[in-house]
Amino acid sequence: MTPRLIMKLEVSAVADAAPGVRVLTFRHRLRPTLPKPEPGAHVDLHLPDGRVRQYSLCGDPADATRYTIAVKLEPEGRGGSRWVHQQLQPGAVVPVSAPRNNFRLAEGARQHVLVAGGIGITPIAAMARHLARCGEAFELHYCVRDEASAPLLPELRAACGTRLHLWRSGGDVPSRFDPHRLSPLPQPGTHLYCCGPHRLVDAVLAASAGWPAGSVHVEHFAPLYDAGFVPEAFQLGIASTGATLEVPAGRSALDVLREHGFMHPSSCGIGVCGACECGYRVADGSTVIHRDVAIDDTARVHRMTPCVSRARGRVLLDL
Amino acid sequence: MPGDDGTPHWRGTLLHIHVAQAASYEMEPLDEATLIAGRGIEGDRYCLGTGTYSKLPAVRDVTLIEIEVLEALARNDPPLQDAPLLIDPGQHRRNLTVRGVPLAHLVGVRFRIGEAVLRGARLSFPCRYLEQLLGRPVYQPLYNRSGINCAIEQGGRIRVGDRIEPL
Repeated sequence: MTPRLIMKLEVSAVADAAPGVRVLTFRHRLRPTLPKPEPGAHVDLHLPDGRVRQYSLCGDPADATRYTIAVKLEPEGRGGSRWVHQQLQPGAVVPVSAPRNNFRLAEGARQHVLVAGGIGITPIAAMARHLARCGEAFELHYCVRDEASAPLLPELRAACGTRLHLWRSGGDVPSRFDPHRLSPLPQPGTHLYCCGPHRLVDAVLAASAGWPAGSVHVEHFAPLYDAGFVPEAFQLGIASTGATLEVPAGRSALDVLREHGFMHPSSCGIGVCGACECGYRVADGSTVIHRDVAIDDTARVHRMTPCVSRARGRVLLDL
Repeated sequence: MPGDDGTPHWRGTLLHIHVAQAASYEMEPLDEATLIAGRGIEGDRYCLGTGTYSKLPAVRDVTLIEIEVLEALARNDPPLQDAPLLIDPGQHRRNLTVRGVPLAHLVGVRFRIGEAVLRGARLSFPCRYLEQLLGRPVYQPLYNRSGINCAIEQGGRIRVGDRIEPL
Protein backbone atom coordinates (compact mmCIF):
# COMPACT_ATOMS: atom_id res chain seq x y z
CA MET A 1 0.00 0.00 0.00
CA THR A 2 1.41 3.33 -0.95
CA PRO A 3 1.97 6.07 1.60
CA ARG A 4 -0.19 9.13 1.23
CA LEU A 5 0.57 12.75 1.87
CA ILE A 6 -0.96 14.00 5.12
CA MET A 7 -2.12 17.61 4.97
CA LYS A 8 -3.10 19.84 7.86
CA LEU A 9 -6.52 20.99 6.72
CA GLU A 10 -8.73 23.57 8.33
CA VAL A 11 -12.39 22.93 9.05
CA SER A 12 -14.06 25.71 7.06
CA ALA A 13 -17.69 24.82 7.72
CA VAL A 14 -19.74 22.54 9.96
CA ALA A 15 -23.43 21.88 9.42
CA ASP A 16 -25.99 19.38 10.65
CA ALA A 17 -27.30 17.51 7.62
CA ALA A 18 -29.73 15.23 9.45
CA PRO A 19 -30.26 14.22 13.06
CA GLY A 20 -26.89 12.88 14.26
CA VAL A 21 -25.17 13.55 10.94
CA ARG A 22 -22.69 16.38 10.63
CA VAL A 23 -21.23 17.63 7.36
CA LEU A 24 -17.73 19.07 7.57
CA THR A 25 -15.87 20.98 4.91
CA PHE A 26 -12.07 21.19 4.87
CA ARG A 27 -9.77 23.59 3.06
CA HIS A 28 -6.01 23.87 2.82
CA ARG A 29 -4.64 26.69 4.93
CA LEU A 30 -1.95 27.70 2.45
CA ARG A 31 -3.02 26.50 -0.99
CA PRO A 32 -6.18 27.11 -3.01
CA THR A 33 -6.51 23.52 -4.21
CA LEU A 34 -6.22 20.00 -2.81
CA PRO A 35 -5.29 16.75 -4.57
CA LYS A 36 -8.23 16.07 -6.85
CA PRO A 37 -10.35 13.18 -5.56
CA GLU A 38 -11.91 10.51 -7.74
CA PRO A 39 -15.61 9.79 -7.22
CA GLY A 40 -15.92 7.16 -4.46
CA ALA A 41 -12.63 8.10 -2.74
CA HIS A 42 -12.11 8.43 1.00
CA VAL A 43 -9.67 10.33 3.19
CA ASP A 44 -8.12 9.41 6.54
CA LEU A 45 -8.65 11.70 9.51
CA HIS A 46 -5.81 11.44 12.01
CA LEU A 47 -7.14 11.80 15.55
CA PRO A 48 -4.96 13.40 18.25
CA ASP A 49 -4.47 10.06 20.02
CA GLY A 50 -3.01 8.45 16.90
CA ARG A 51 -6.13 6.66 15.74
CA VAL A 52 -7.05 7.00 12.09
CA ARG A 53 -10.57 7.00 10.69
CA GLN A 54 -11.70 6.73 7.08
CA TYR A 55 -14.48 8.92 5.72
CA SER A 56 -15.74 8.99 2.15
CA LEU A 57 -15.72 12.30 0.35
CA CYS A 58 -19.31 13.23 -0.43
CA GLY A 59 -18.82 16.58 -2.15
CA ASP A 60 -18.47 17.33 -5.83
CA PRO A 61 -15.28 15.54 -6.99
CA ALA A 62 -14.74 18.29 -9.57
CA ASP A 63 -14.31 20.88 -6.82
CA ALA A 64 -10.70 20.55 -5.65
CA THR A 65 -10.89 23.64 -3.43
CA ARG A 66 -12.47 21.68 -0.59
CA TYR A 67 -13.17 18.23 0.79
CA THR A 68 -16.55 17.43 2.30
CA ILE A 69 -17.36 14.51 4.59
CA ALA A 70 -20.55 13.55 6.40
CA VAL A 71 -20.10 11.83 9.76
CA LYS A 72 -22.84 9.99 11.58
CA LEU A 73 -22.54 10.03 15.35
CA GLU A 74 -22.13 6.46 16.57
CA PRO A 75 -22.50 6.73 20.37
CA GLU A 76 -21.54 3.08 20.79
CA GLY A 77 -18.77 3.21 18.17
CA ARG A 78 -15.03 3.23 18.66
CA GLY A 79 -14.91 6.98 19.32
CA GLY A 80 -13.99 8.52 15.97
CA SER A 81 -17.41 9.98 15.25
CA ARG A 82 -17.76 11.25 18.81
CA TRP A 83 -14.49 13.10 18.46
CA VAL A 84 -15.55 14.59 15.12
CA HIS A 85 -18.92 15.72 16.51
CA GLN A 86 -17.56 17.08 19.77
CA GLN A 87 -14.24 18.61 18.78
CA LEU A 88 -14.37 19.78 15.20
CA GLN A 89 -15.55 23.36 14.83
CA PRO A 90 -14.72 25.87 12.08
CA GLY A 91 -11.07 26.86 12.39
CA ALA A 92 -9.93 23.52 13.81
CA VAL A 93 -6.89 22.08 12.03
CA VAL A 94 -6.87 18.33 11.40
CA PRO A 95 -4.33 16.05 9.71
CA VAL A 96 -6.13 14.65 6.66
CA SER A 97 -4.58 12.30 4.12
CA ALA A 98 -4.71 12.73 0.38
CA PRO A 99 -7.68 10.75 -1.02
CA ARG A 100 -7.50 7.06 -1.84
CA ASN A 101 -10.09 5.23 -3.87
CA ASN A 102 -11.13 1.63 -3.20
CA PHE A 103 -14.60 2.14 -4.69
CA ARG A 104 -14.15 3.26 -8.27
CA LEU A 105 -16.70 3.86 -10.97
CA ALA A 106 -16.12 1.33 -13.72
CA GLU A 107 -14.52 2.80 -16.81
CA GLY A 108 -16.45 2.35 -20.01
CA ALA A 109 -19.67 1.31 -18.27
CA ARG A 110 -22.86 2.06 -20.17
CA GLN A 111 -25.14 2.27 -17.17
CA HIS A 112 -24.51 2.73 -13.46
CA VAL A 113 -26.92 1.57 -10.75
CA LEU A 114 -26.10 3.18 -7.39
CA VAL A 115 -27.65 1.85 -4.16
CA ALA A 116 -27.04 3.60 -0.84
CA GLY A 117 -28.43 3.07 2.64
CA GLY A 118 -28.31 5.83 5.26
CA ILE A 119 -24.85 7.29 5.83
CA GLY A 120 -23.62 4.92 3.09
CA ILE A 121 -24.76 7.69 0.76
CA THR A 122 -21.43 9.50 1.18
CA PRO A 123 -19.29 7.86 -1.55
CA ILE A 124 -22.38 7.26 -3.67
CA ALA A 125 -23.22 10.99 -3.54
CA ALA A 126 -19.84 11.87 -5.03
CA MET A 127 -20.35 9.24 -7.74
CA ALA A 128 -23.85 10.51 -8.54
CA ARG A 129 -22.69 14.11 -8.82
CA HIS A 130 -19.89 13.05 -11.16
CA LEU A 131 -22.14 10.90 -13.35
CA ALA A 132 -24.77 13.64 -13.52
CA ARG A 133 -22.21 16.22 -14.62
CA CYS A 134 -20.72 13.90 -17.23
CA GLY A 135 -24.17 13.12 -18.62
CA GLU A 136 -23.75 9.39 -18.02
CA ALA A 137 -26.66 7.00 -17.64
CA PHE A 138 -27.32 6.16 -14.00
CA GLU A 139 -29.98 5.66 -11.38
CA LEU A 140 -29.57 6.25 -7.66
CA HIS A 141 -31.57 4.27 -5.10
CA TYR A 142 -31.32 5.95 -1.71
CA CYS A 143 -32.71 3.93 1.21
CA VAL A 144 -33.57 5.95 4.31
CA ARG A 145 -35.87 5.80 7.31
CA ASP A 146 -37.61 8.99 6.28
CA GLU A 147 -36.75 12.19 4.44
CA ALA A 148 -35.81 14.06 7.59
CA SER A 149 -33.10 11.51 8.39
CA ALA A 150 -31.62 11.47 4.87
CA PRO A 151 -28.32 13.37 4.72
CA LEU A 152 -27.47 15.24 1.51
CA LEU A 153 -30.98 14.77 0.12
CA PRO A 154 -31.54 18.35 -1.16
CA GLU A 155 -28.20 18.39 -2.99
CA LEU A 156 -28.83 14.98 -4.50
CA ARG A 157 -32.30 15.95 -5.68
CA ALA A 158 -30.81 19.00 -7.38
CA ALA A 159 -28.00 16.99 -8.99
CA CYS A 160 -29.91 13.86 -9.97
CA GLY A 161 -33.50 14.96 -10.62
CA THR A 162 -35.68 12.02 -11.58
CA ARG A 163 -32.73 9.62 -11.50
CA LEU A 164 -32.93 9.73 -7.69
CA HIS A 165 -35.29 7.14 -6.22
CA LEU A 166 -35.93 7.62 -2.52
CA TRP A 167 -37.00 4.54 -0.56
CA ARG A 168 -38.39 4.92 2.97
CA SER A 169 -38.51 2.20 5.62
CA GLY A 170 -40.55 4.33 8.05
CA GLY A 171 -43.32 6.89 7.99
CA ASP A 172 -46.99 6.44 7.24
CA VAL A 173 -46.47 4.83 3.87
CA PRO A 174 -43.19 2.88 3.80
CA SER A 175 -41.70 2.18 0.40
CA ARG A 176 -38.82 -0.17 0.97
CA PHE A 177 -36.20 -0.81 -1.69
CA ASP A 178 -36.51 -4.36 -2.97
CA PRO A 179 -33.15 -5.59 -4.28
CA HIS A 180 -35.01 -8.11 -6.40
CA ARG A 181 -36.19 -5.27 -8.60
CA LEU A 182 -32.60 -5.29 -9.87
CA SER A 183 -32.57 -7.21 -13.10
CA PRO A 184 -31.20 -10.73 -12.55
CA LEU A 185 -29.44 -10.43 -15.90
CA PRO A 186 -28.59 -6.79 -16.60
CA GLN A 187 -27.90 -5.17 -19.93
CA PRO A 188 -24.25 -5.57 -20.95
CA GLY A 189 -22.11 -2.76 -19.54
CA THR A 190 -24.26 -2.20 -16.45
CA HIS A 191 -22.39 -1.76 -13.19
CA LEU A 192 -23.88 -1.91 -9.70
CA TYR A 193 -22.48 -0.07 -6.66
CA CYS A 194 -23.72 -0.44 -3.10
CA CYS A 195 -22.76 1.16 0.19
CA GLY A 196 -24.70 0.97 3.43
CA PRO A 197 -25.60 -1.32 6.31
CA HIS A 198 -24.61 -4.97 6.00
CA ARG A 199 -28.21 -6.09 5.61
CA LEU A 200 -28.66 -3.91 2.55
CA VAL A 201 -25.27 -4.84 1.09
CA ASP A 202 -25.93 -8.55 1.62
CA ALA A 203 -29.37 -8.32 0.03
CA VAL A 204 -28.01 -6.46 -2.98
CA LEU A 205 -25.15 -8.94 -3.35
CA ALA A 206 -27.59 -11.85 -3.17
CA ALA A 207 -29.93 -10.29 -5.72
CA SER A 208 -27.07 -9.59 -8.12
CA ALA A 209 -25.37 -12.98 -7.71
CA GLY A 210 -25.94 -13.74 -11.39
CA TRP A 211 -24.38 -10.51 -12.65
CA PRO A 212 -21.16 -10.79 -14.66
CA ALA A 213 -17.93 -10.98 -12.63
CA GLY A 214 -16.55 -7.55 -11.82
CA SER A 215 -19.80 -5.67 -12.40
CA VAL A 216 -20.87 -5.45 -8.74
CA HIS A 217 -18.95 -3.10 -6.43
CA VAL A 218 -19.47 -2.68 -2.69
CA GLU A 219 -17.84 -0.37 -0.15
CA HIS A 220 -17.40 -1.75 3.34
CA PHE A 221 -17.37 0.61 6.29
CA ALA A 222 -17.07 -2.04 8.94
CA PRO A 223 -14.87 -5.11 9.03
CA LEU A 224 -16.14 -8.55 8.13
CA TYR A 225 -18.61 -9.67 10.71
CA ASP A 226 -18.06 -13.40 10.90
CA ALA A 227 -19.22 -13.58 14.49
CA GLY A 228 -18.46 -17.28 14.73
CA PHE A 229 -14.78 -16.91 13.89
CA VAL A 230 -12.53 -18.36 16.58
CA PRO A 231 -8.94 -17.12 16.25
CA GLU A 232 -6.14 -19.63 16.77
CA ALA A 233 -2.47 -19.17 17.56
CA PHE A 234 -0.10 -19.33 14.61
CA GLN A 235 3.50 -18.62 13.65
CA LEU A 236 4.84 -15.61 11.74
CA GLY A 237 8.11 -16.04 9.89
CA ILE A 238 10.16 -12.97 8.93
CA ALA A 239 11.71 -13.44 5.50
CA SER A 240 14.64 -11.04 5.98
CA THR A 241 15.89 -12.48 9.26
CA GLY A 242 14.50 -15.99 9.39
CA ALA A 243 13.03 -15.23 12.81
CA THR A 244 9.80 -16.86 13.92
CA LEU A 245 7.29 -14.97 16.06
CA GLU A 246 4.43 -16.61 17.93
CA VAL A 247 1.03 -14.97 17.48
CA PRO A 248 -1.28 -15.98 20.34
CA ALA A 249 -4.97 -16.54 19.64
CA GLY A 250 -5.94 -13.32 21.36
CA ARG A 251 -3.59 -10.96 19.53
CA SER A 252 -3.16 -9.72 15.98
CA ALA A 253 -0.11 -10.39 13.85
CA LEU A 254 0.33 -6.61 13.59
CA ASP A 255 0.48 -6.30 17.38
CA VAL A 256 3.14 -8.97 17.55
CA LEU A 257 5.14 -7.31 14.76
CA ARG A 258 4.99 -3.98 16.62
CA GLU A 259 6.11 -5.62 19.85
CA HIS A 260 9.16 -6.91 17.99
CA GLY A 261 10.08 -3.50 16.65
CA PHE A 262 8.62 -3.61 13.16
CA MET A 263 7.46 -0.12 12.19
CA HIS A 264 4.96 -1.57 9.75
CA PRO A 265 2.50 1.00 8.38
CA SER A 266 -1.10 0.59 9.45
CA SER A 267 -4.16 2.73 9.63
CA CYS A 268 -7.65 1.43 10.36
CA GLY A 269 -6.68 -1.74 12.24
CA ILE A 270 -9.87 -3.49 11.13
CA GLY A 271 -8.94 -4.81 7.68
CA VAL A 272 -10.61 -2.09 5.68
CA CYS A 273 -7.96 0.37 4.52
CA GLY A 274 -5.18 -1.93 3.34
CA ALA A 275 -2.37 0.22 4.78
CA CYS A 276 -0.67 -2.74 6.48
CA GLU A 277 -0.89 -4.99 3.42
CA CYS A 278 2.16 -7.22 3.13
CA GLY A 279 3.51 -9.96 0.87
CA TYR A 280 3.58 -13.51 2.22
CA ARG A 281 4.38 -17.12 1.42
CA VAL A 282 3.13 -20.29 3.06
CA ALA A 283 4.51 -23.79 3.11
CA ASP A 284 2.38 -26.81 2.27
CA GLY A 285 -0.09 -27.54 5.01
CA SER A 286 -0.32 -23.93 6.18
CA THR A 287 -2.96 -21.45 5.05
CA VAL A 288 -3.66 -17.78 5.44
CA ILE A 289 -7.10 -16.85 6.76
CA HIS A 290 -7.98 -13.57 5.06
CA ARG A 291 -10.33 -11.51 7.20
CA ASP A 292 -9.98 -8.12 5.54
CA VAL A 293 -12.03 -6.42 2.88
CA ALA A 294 -9.09 -4.51 1.43
CA ILE A 295 -7.34 -7.05 -0.79
CA ASP A 296 -9.07 -8.55 -3.80
CA ASP A 297 -9.15 -12.25 -4.51
CA THR A 298 -6.38 -12.23 -7.11
CA ALA A 299 -3.95 -10.42 -4.79
CA ARG A 300 -4.84 -12.59 -1.80
CA VAL A 301 -2.74 -15.35 -3.25
CA HIS A 302 0.37 -13.42 -2.15
CA ARG A 303 -0.76 -10.41 -0.08
CA MET A 304 -2.34 -10.28 3.38
CA THR A 305 -3.26 -7.71 6.06
CA PRO A 306 -1.60 -8.55 9.40
CA CYS A 307 -4.04 -6.31 11.32
CA VAL A 308 -6.91 -8.82 11.03
CA SER A 309 -5.83 -11.70 8.84
CA ARG A 310 -4.38 -14.78 10.46
CA ALA A 311 -2.97 -18.14 9.49
CA ARG A 312 -3.19 -21.78 10.32
CA GLY A 313 0.32 -23.11 10.79
CA ARG A 314 3.12 -20.78 9.72
CA VAL A 315 3.13 -17.82 7.33
CA LEU A 316 6.33 -16.18 6.08
CA LEU A 317 5.98 -12.41 5.71
CA ASP A 318 8.08 -10.46 3.20
CA LEU A 319 9.50 -8.19 5.87
CA MET B 1 36.15 23.62 -5.39
CA PRO B 2 39.28 25.32 -4.11
CA GLY B 3 40.67 28.54 -5.50
CA ASP B 4 44.27 28.94 -6.60
CA ASP B 5 45.34 29.16 -2.97
CA GLY B 6 43.47 25.96 -2.05
CA THR B 7 40.70 27.78 -0.16
CA PRO B 8 37.15 26.83 -1.10
CA HIS B 9 35.51 29.88 -2.62
CA TRP B 10 31.85 29.44 -3.21
CA ARG B 11 29.03 31.38 -1.68
CA GLY B 12 25.40 30.36 -1.74
CA THR B 13 21.98 31.46 -0.56
CA LEU B 14 19.26 29.80 1.48
CA LEU B 15 16.08 29.99 -0.63
CA HIS B 16 13.53 27.89 1.26
CA ILE B 17 13.10 26.25 4.67
CA HIS B 18 10.62 23.37 4.96
CA VAL B 19 9.71 21.13 7.88
CA ALA B 20 7.15 18.38 8.50
CA GLN B 21 6.02 17.19 11.91
CA ALA B 22 6.01 13.49 11.03
CA ALA B 23 6.46 11.00 8.22
CA SER B 24 4.10 11.60 5.28
CA TYR B 25 3.04 15.01 6.57
CA GLU B 26 3.08 17.72 3.96
CA MET B 27 6.18 19.93 4.22
CA GLU B 28 5.43 23.39 5.60
CA PRO B 29 7.36 26.48 4.56
CA LEU B 30 9.05 28.65 7.19
CA ASP B 31 10.66 32.08 6.86
CA GLU B 32 13.04 31.27 9.66
CA ALA B 33 13.87 28.31 11.87
CA THR B 34 15.96 27.19 14.81
CA LEU B 35 18.59 24.52 14.26
CA ILE B 36 19.42 22.39 17.28
CA ALA B 37 22.94 20.94 17.37
CA GLY B 38 23.05 17.18 16.90
CA ARG B 39 19.28 16.92 16.45
CA GLY B 40 17.58 18.83 13.68
CA ILE B 41 15.29 21.71 12.84
CA GLU B 42 12.86 22.63 15.58
CA GLY B 43 9.47 21.19 14.60
CA ASP B 44 10.83 18.82 11.96
CA ARG B 45 10.29 15.08 11.98
CA TYR B 46 13.98 14.25 12.23
CA CYS B 47 14.31 16.49 15.28
CA LEU B 48 11.18 14.93 16.81
CA GLY B 49 12.09 11.33 15.94
CA THR B 50 8.92 10.87 13.88
CA GLY B 51 10.47 10.59 10.41
CA THR B 52 10.28 7.61 8.10
CA TYR B 53 13.98 6.94 8.68
CA SER B 54 14.26 8.19 12.25
CA LYS B 55 15.15 4.74 13.56
CA LEU B 56 18.06 4.36 11.16
CA PRO B 57 21.50 5.28 12.43
CA ALA B 58 22.63 7.62 9.62
CA VAL B 59 22.99 11.34 10.31
CA ARG B 60 20.02 13.30 9.01
CA ASP B 61 19.74 16.33 11.27
CA VAL B 62 18.97 18.46 8.25
CA THR B 63 18.82 17.80 4.50
CA LEU B 64 19.68 20.17 1.66
CA ILE B 65 18.99 20.14 -2.06
CA GLU B 66 20.10 22.48 -4.84
CA ILE B 67 17.56 24.60 -6.67
CA GLU B 68 19.79 24.06 -9.70
CA VAL B 69 18.70 20.38 -9.69
CA LEU B 70 15.02 21.34 -9.62
CA GLU B 71 15.64 23.77 -12.45
CA ALA B 72 17.40 21.08 -14.47
CA LEU B 73 14.46 18.71 -13.93
CA ALA B 74 12.10 21.46 -15.05
CA ARG B 75 14.13 21.68 -18.28
CA ASN B 76 14.22 17.88 -18.52
CA ASP B 77 18.00 18.10 -18.50
CA PRO B 78 19.29 15.49 -19.10
CA PRO B 79 16.22 14.12 -20.90
CA LEU B 80 15.55 11.27 -18.49
CA GLN B 81 11.77 11.38 -18.74
CA ASP B 82 9.18 12.16 -21.38
CA ALA B 83 8.55 15.70 -20.24
CA PRO B 84 9.91 18.37 -17.90
CA LEU B 85 9.46 17.43 -14.26
CA LEU B 86 8.21 20.24 -12.05
CA ILE B 87 8.95 19.72 -8.37
CA ASP B 88 8.06 22.57 -6.03
CA PRO B 89 10.45 23.26 -3.15
CA GLY B 90 7.76 22.02 -0.76
CA GLN B 91 7.50 18.66 -2.51
CA HIS B 92 10.99 17.19 -2.53
CA ARG B 93 10.98 16.73 1.29
CA ARG B 94 14.49 18.08 1.84
CA ASN B 95 14.56 20.77 4.54
CA LEU B 96 16.62 23.47 2.87
CA THR B 97 16.60 24.49 -0.78
CA VAL B 98 19.77 26.37 -1.66
CA ARG B 99 21.37 28.13 -4.63
CA GLY B 100 25.04 28.28 -5.42
CA VAL B 101 26.11 25.58 -2.97
CA PRO B 102 28.09 22.63 -4.44
CA LEU B 103 26.46 19.98 -2.29
CA ALA B 104 28.29 17.05 -3.88
CA HIS B 105 31.55 18.57 -2.62
CA LEU B 106 30.44 19.00 0.95
CA VAL B 107 30.80 15.51 2.42
CA GLY B 108 32.97 16.05 5.49
CA VAL B 109 33.03 19.81 4.93
CA ARG B 110 31.89 22.38 7.51
CA PHE B 111 29.90 25.35 6.33
CA ARG B 112 27.83 28.14 7.82
CA ILE B 113 24.17 29.05 7.30
CA GLY B 114 23.02 32.06 9.29
CA GLU B 115 24.01 31.44 12.90
CA ALA B 116 24.39 27.69 12.41
CA VAL B 117 27.31 25.51 11.39
CA LEU B 118 26.63 22.31 9.44
CA ARG B 119 28.87 19.45 8.39
CA GLY B 120 28.14 17.46 5.27
CA ALA B 121 27.57 13.83 6.33
CA ARG B 122 26.57 11.80 3.28
CA LEU B 123 24.91 12.40 -0.04
CA SER B 124 21.18 11.75 0.05
CA PHE B 125 19.62 8.97 -1.93
CA PRO B 126 16.34 9.35 -3.79
CA CYS B 127 13.55 7.19 -2.39
CA ARG B 128 10.56 5.34 -3.72
CA TYR B 129 8.68 6.65 -0.73
CA LEU B 130 8.80 10.17 -2.20
CA GLU B 131 7.73 8.79 -5.55
CA GLN B 132 4.70 7.18 -3.90
CA LEU B 133 3.81 10.28 -1.89
CA LEU B 134 3.93 12.49 -4.95
CA GLY B 135 2.42 9.89 -7.25
CA ARG B 136 5.06 10.89 -9.82
CA PRO B 137 8.17 9.11 -11.12
CA VAL B 138 10.89 11.20 -9.47
CA TYR B 139 13.21 8.42 -8.35
CA GLN B 140 15.42 8.06 -11.37
CA PRO B 141 15.54 11.78 -12.28
CA LEU B 142 16.88 12.54 -8.77
CA TYR B 143 19.52 9.83 -8.88
CA ASN B 144 22.96 11.21 -7.91
CA ARG B 145 21.53 14.70 -7.38
CA SER B 146 19.21 14.20 -4.46
CA GLY B 147 20.94 16.51 -2.00
CA ILE B 148 22.94 15.90 1.16
CA ASN B 149 22.32 14.88 4.77
CA CYS B 150 24.09 17.15 7.24
CA ALA B 151 24.92 17.17 10.91
CA ILE B 152 24.27 20.36 12.86
CA GLU B 153 27.54 21.13 14.67
CA GLN B 154 26.44 24.48 16.00
CA GLY B 155 22.78 25.38 16.39
CA GLY B 156 21.18 28.76 15.84
CA ARG B 157 18.66 30.72 13.82
CA ILE B 158 18.55 30.52 10.05
CA ARG B 159 16.44 32.68 7.75
CA VAL B 160 15.42 32.54 4.13
CA GLY B 161 17.94 34.69 2.27
CA ASP B 162 20.82 33.78 4.60
CA ARG B 163 24.27 33.50 3.04
CA ILE B 164 25.84 30.02 2.99
CA GLU B 165 29.63 29.76 2.94
CA PRO B 166 32.38 27.25 3.69
CA LEU B 167 34.41 27.39 6.88
